[in-house]
Amino acid sequence: MTDDPVANLLMRVARQDRAAFRALYADTGAKLMGVLMRMLGTRAEAEDALQEVFTRVWLRAGRFDAARGRGMTWLIAIARNHAIDRLRARPDAPVAADGTADLLPDTRPSALTGLIAQGEARRIADCFATLPPDRAAALRAAYLDGRSYADLAAQHAVPLNTMRTWLRRSLLALRECLSQ
Amino acid sequence: MTDPHDTAEGDDLLAAEYVLGVLALSDRAGVEARLKTDRALAARVAAWETQLSALNDGFAPAPAAPDLLPRIEARLFPQPRRWRAWVGGALTAAALSLAALVLLPLPPPAPLVASLGAPDAALRFEARHDGAALILTRTAGAAAPAGQAHEAWLIAPDAAPVALGLITDVSLRVPYPAAPEGWVLAVSLEPAGGAPGGAPTGPILATGTITGF
Repeated sequence: MTDDPVANLLMRVARQDRAAFRALYADTGAKLMGVLMRMLGTRAEAEDALQEVFTRVWLRAGRFDAARGRGMTWLIAIARNHAIDRLRARPDAPVAADGTADLLPDTRPSALTGLIAQGEARRIADCFATLPPDRAAALRAAYLDGRSYADLAAQHAVPLNTMRTWLRRSLLALRECLSQ
Repeated sequence: MTDPHDTAEGDDLLAAEYVLGVLALSDRAGVEARLKTDRALAARVAAWETQLSALNDGFAPAPAAPDLLPRIEARLFPQPRRWRAWVGGALTAAALSLAALVLLPLPPPAPLVASLGAPDAALRFEARHDGAALILTRTAGAAAPAGQAHEAWLIAPDAAPVALGLITDVSLRVPYPAAPEGWVLAVSLEPAGGAPGGAPTGPILATGTITGF
């Protein structure tokens, strides 16, 4: 047992505990649906994807390692990876027309500071806050919307390498802050 | 690029870009192929998943259709036949009383749960379940040609195939508590390292349905 309720459910699911699987769905289904809705855009595709995600969760729960991270982080990674695979497989891989709004500085305090104020999570939020607002917003847009370097470069009319350099610097700055 | 420090630096950045989701399809597939065997890279990916998890606050929860969980359960847990549950219960009770009498029972051989490929086919695989894992082994035919690999897939009813791993000369062992009856196992021919992108890309070489025992 850990102090992470989602991790505890995942460890029971790994032993094929169906009641735990239902409880896991009840506790995390809406959040994962939110991930898929945001990234895929339509309810029909998001619900189709959610079924695939929970199928993978049932199959792969045995690979979850509570020592490596929190249960919810692991679940969201599965949902995001599935959504990104779907996005990249789209023939036209469209850039959302209203996407630029995501790159404006997000002045709402809730996005990062609303995080559980404890240990690691708090430190991560603090480090995000040290990034210049436009850099943090670019990372957020890439992460939340599943944009590729090519999408982001086209959207900002800059060469792909410029966009890559820009985001890499932000990632390195984030890592630098977290390693202190 | 051969400097170990540079390689580690490059891998850490690559893991970050993979988790951020900005890589093109081919680069992404390259990372996923490596993740199947490269534990160091997998650890970097897990670390970045945590480091970027602050962004997960940006996903607003959204309720899914109320019938979605029943649909998922119907797909994952096909209704077992009644007698099987009863016999299973009786067997469990018998096993428990035996275990009480015999302190160190010999482990039974892992039962066969699926045969993949026709009995007279050149290439054939079998799946066994030892109570803790599915064990897939090539029982006839040659290993995949150089530069290619045999990849195993598990397919739940009406679901997309889920990769289990590569079958080499050594048996593939996939931790899984029980053999899911009625699900299909398949083996496809893929590039070395496995199918990029999480779905089979090459020809299906053998399939078999998991049966009870």
